[in-house]
Amino acid sequence: MAFPHRPDAPELPDFSMLKRLARDQLIYLLEQLPGKKDLFIEADLMSPLDRIANVSILKQHEVDKLYKVESKPAVSSSEQLCFLVRPRIKNMRYIANLVNADKLAGRTRKYKVIFSPQKFYACEMVLEEEGIYGDVSCDEWAFSLLPLDVDLLSMELPEFFRDYFLEGDQRWINTVAQALHLLSTLYGPFPNCYGIGRCAKMSYELWRKLEDEEDGETKGRRPEIGHIFLLDRDMDFVTALCSQVVYEGLVDDTFRIKCGSVDFGPEVTSSDKSLKVLLNAEDKVFNEIRNEHFSNVFGFLSQKARNLQAQYDRRRGMDIKQMKNFVSQELKGLKQEHRLLSLHIGACESIMKKKTKQDFQELIKTEHALLEGFNIRESTSYIEEHIDRQVSPIESLRLMCLLSITENGLIPKDYRSLKTQYLQSYGPEHLLTFSNLRRAGLLTEQAPGDTLTAVESKVSKLVTDKAAGKITDAFSSLAKRSNFRAISKKLNLIPRVDGEYDLKVPRDMAYVFSGAYVPLSCRIIEQVLERRSWQGLDEVVRLLNCSELAFTDMTREDKASSESLRLILVVFLGGCTFSEISALRFLGREKGYRFIFLTTAVTNSARLMEAMSEVKA
Amino acid sequence: MNTGQTCRRVCSGLAWMAGLEGGDTGHGWTGSGGNSLLLPSGSSQAASFGKCFLDRFPPDSFVRMCQDLRVLNAVRDYHIGIPLTYSQYKQLTIQVLLDRLVLRRLYPLAIQICEYLRLPEVQGVSRILAHWACYKVQQKDVSDEDVARAINQKLGDTPGVSYSDIAARAYGCGRTELAIKLLEYEPRSGEQVPLLLKMKRSKLALSKAIESGDTDLVFTVLLHLKNELNRGDFFMTLRNQPMALSLYRQFCKYQELETLKDLYNQDDNHQELGSFHIRASYAAEERIEGRVAALQTAADAFYKAKNEFAAKATEDQMRLLRLQRRLEDELGGRFLDLSLHDTVTTLILGGHNKRAEQLARDFRIPDKRLWWLKLTALADLEDWEELEKFSKSKKSPIGYLPFVEICMKQHNKYEAKKYTSRVGPEQKVKALLLVGDVAQAADVAIEHRNEAELSLVLSHCTGATDGATADKIQRARAQAQKKMEGLEEEPLETLPTEQW
Repeated sequence: MAFPHRPDAPELPDFSMLKRLARDQLIYLLEQLPGKKDLFIEADLMSPLDRIANVSILKQHEVDKLYKVESKPAVSSSEQLCFLVRPRIKNMRYIANLVNADKLAGRTRKYKVIFSPQKFYACEMVLEEEGIYGDVSCDEWAFSLLPLDVDLLSMELPEFFRDYFLEGDQRWINTVAQALHLLSTLYGPFPNCYGIGRCAKMSYELWRKLEDEEDGETKGRRPEIGHIFLLDRDMDFVTALCSQVVYEGLVDDTFRIKCGSVDFGPEVTSSDKSLKVLLNAEDKVFNEIRNEHFSNVFGFLSQKARNLQAQYDRRRGMDIKQMKNFVSQELKGLKQEHRLLSLHIGACESIMKKKTKQDFQELIKTEHALLEGFNIRESTSYIEEHIDRQVSPIESLRLMCLLSITENGLIPKDYRSLKTQYLQSYGPEHLLTFSNLRRAGLLTEQAPGDTLTAVESKVSKLVTDKAAGKITDAFSSLAKRSNFRAISKKLNLIPRVDGEYDLKVPRDMAYVFSGAYVPLSCRIIEQVLERRSWQGLDEVVRLLNCSELAFTDMTREDKASSESLRLILVVFLGGCTFSEISALRFLGREKGYRFIFLTTAVTNSARLMEAMSEVKA
Repeated sequence: MNTGQTCRRVCSGLAWMAGLEGGDTGHGWTGSGGNSLLLPSGSSQAASFGKCFLDRFPPDSFVRMCQDLRVLNAVRDYHIGIPLTYSQYKQLTIQVLLDRLVLRRLYPLAIQICEYLRLPEVQGVSRILAHWACYKVQQKDVSDEDVARAINQKLGDTPGVSYSDIAARAYGCGRTELAIKLLEYEPRSGEQVPLLLKMKRSKLALSKAIESGDTDLVFTVLLHLKNELNRGDFFMTLRNQPMALSLYRQFCKYQELETLKDLYNQDDNHQELGSFHIRASYAAEERIEGRVAALQTAADAFYKAKNEFAAKATEDQMRLLRLQRRLEDELGGRFLDLSLHDTVTTLILGGHNKRAEQLARDFRIPDKRLWWLKLTALADLEDWEELEKFSKSKKSPIGYLPFVEICMKQHNKYEAKKYTSRVGPEQKVKALLLVGDVAQAADVAIEHRNEAELSLVLSHCTGATDGATADKIQRARAQAQKKMEGLEEEPLETLPTEQW
């Protein structure tokens, strides 16, 4: 359990500096508006803010009352209002309404808008159009990197995914470049860079430009982080769409980890209250099970509970002095551990209740079948039944996407019928959802005129349905030129297993998906790091449609010494999942690397689907 | 004698000598350049001589004095003709002296002085080069190309030189083409764009802004363009710039919905136009007539986009909306905005089975889903009688396992058992296990001689109550194993571990 790192694995840099930096800057900005003021905070910024500055710090700097920026206007009596928001047009409207209402009432106050992580011209434009540009002062709070854990930095920009991969909006790329620049001034230089994807390339180039403009900062410093890898989410949707089965991923899928903490409801805490729990390396119990396959977790926890009991039991037969020692030194730790243990056991039970039912196993079975590409017909019917049963709109959508990507698009007949079923079940507005999914390449139709499909439809007219299904299967296994399939073969993503895959002692990254599939994103990273370039991966790069978008920028400095550095920064543009993090942590332990993750946001299948879904307001 | 005095004496001697000899030995500066800043040999000898008598003499002031003298010597040359005294020079400061040289267009000398005094490039060489370039662009007799090339050759990538400033000067002299050429050398797109806009080269500015990857810059240009061009031209420009287009669309989505529609119209993007109207049908319109009208427009657009699927789905939705409205009028309750599925469910829950059937037929709900729907709804109602009737209405397209399942979900074992007998052989074991009849499940599994099923049953055997059943299964297994010789015996205690 909880494999130790190799003794020669490098130490992680201390990222708490980022927090301090952000906090100091915020305080500076608040001080710019001296005197008592009310602070309006955008809901999405609350949790990140909570991680770096608590209410008492805000109060110290004369923040009087806190409000949430939401649809209904808040009544504040303060003479100074400060808004802490993401640069969104919606927020500008909110502020404009507030200011204009004041104007109507003949009231004058001071307004200050602090944009985080940066200001957009479009926002200022809206302020101007609304006629309040002169009334407010604008500032930027360049808070773009939140250390969620010792090895995980998040930009907390979940909208990055939709904005870039669906709407084609590149505005966040600048933010990414700025964040990289900040990292390299604090922890740089980063001698070796690799990347794949359009966004990765653009961010990289922009970042380099920033570095060139103000060089000198990092020169002469010895690099710590030897390699940096940038990866676009659309290189690998498959991994993100799979159900997660490592503990941390499962907790995220079940309870939703938000900004590094989770709300455990009464069913977990076995009391009548919900409890907010920080999940990171400081939680000793969690740290040992977070990367484990769920099937091991329960055994581990019960073992741990027994150990704990034994430690408690030791106090029997202690004399007074020993007891005093025990109470003053160990008891607190034990109690803490006890509390955490019971929480995680509660969480496990709750997960078990939800997941170990027959249907979850069937679901996983279907997913594995899709990944391996057999029994496509059966999987399609499974998805159909999934809709018929009205299990969950998001889940159904996810399975459809998984089918589409692994099969290089749905065959027209299925495409139509599944969509109809879905629309009839969940409402016509999802016509837009499907249009979104198609644009993002998540759910597509196989090009008609595919010779085999034509043959197939002829055949199916001649024979009964069931036989046709079998023939379809035969055909598709023969000739579906699915890119995923080809990539999977090239990179050996589906491990050949003789006998049972031992999930207790994983032998490769596939363990994060029960030994059925090695996450594509992680495999790419592994391969490139092994080769120190994209050399020999031309075919894979071509299949990923990234011929011009894979890049390597080898060291400008002393090559030999930087090569040997085994601290690696992986940047996921568009989000990464806990499964991917676990897989790479595993890889790190195997090879003596240490990975640091930088992501625009931690994501999972449900979040991806929700980002693509059209919902009635 | 202290060092300060020594220094002063030596230096004043030097100054005198320099002044004296400078007049005689002054080399032509502007002509041959280079070595003209060399101190006349006499002075240097004197200086070195003086230094020999001092120990611990700090060299700084000596060196500085020598440098100043050389500069003074150089500008005193008759070609230049600025005879300054030392104190005048100090009063004036080097910056002002350089400015004067620049004003007299003595660029080479100014640059040499800068280099010699090792002034920081931004204050020194770059500044003078920039001045030179600004002068150069005013030479109207030289062609744009030559000027641009000459400037680039001299300036190269000198830090601190702003090509955009020079370009601005060129533009000020009315040489727009030259300005554009010069801007090409400007590495920072942020600097290029404003000038390009000023020169009314908005389209070029747009592509430069896009190149920069800075969306704010793109946006600035876009709004500029919007005001400058008429709508049609503006849209045409956008059409060729997908990145700008998507940026503008994002803006319109929140701020100018009508413009968004016009944009799609202009592009003949019927697909997006359809989506736009769909969204309008539930976001913008309140009245049912308005909503149906919006959907009709959407459907028309989808037909134009050759997206028959979407068009048909939209038409269905129109029908559904009208129907829901009628249902609300006739039956009361809320139907509007429910999905088709939920509409039918609501009807069944309200006891309007006939209507539900009719609706399902009209909208061609596939049998399988309809069965699931009815089954779930009737179980929710706990209308077991009707459920049984329904189950017998014809052969179930979804089998009878779902009946067992749903009944159990409502904790009605009694009803569930009714259906177990009708479950097909393949799912029989599952059904029996669902109702908790482990013994019978074991019998069926043994009958089927299906290893997987046996394991499944075994995993459901708990405690003493099922002890006999477990034994039975083990026996059956053992028998089966005897029959299949050559197969290795499986250890009995390994229960199948659920793996997922």
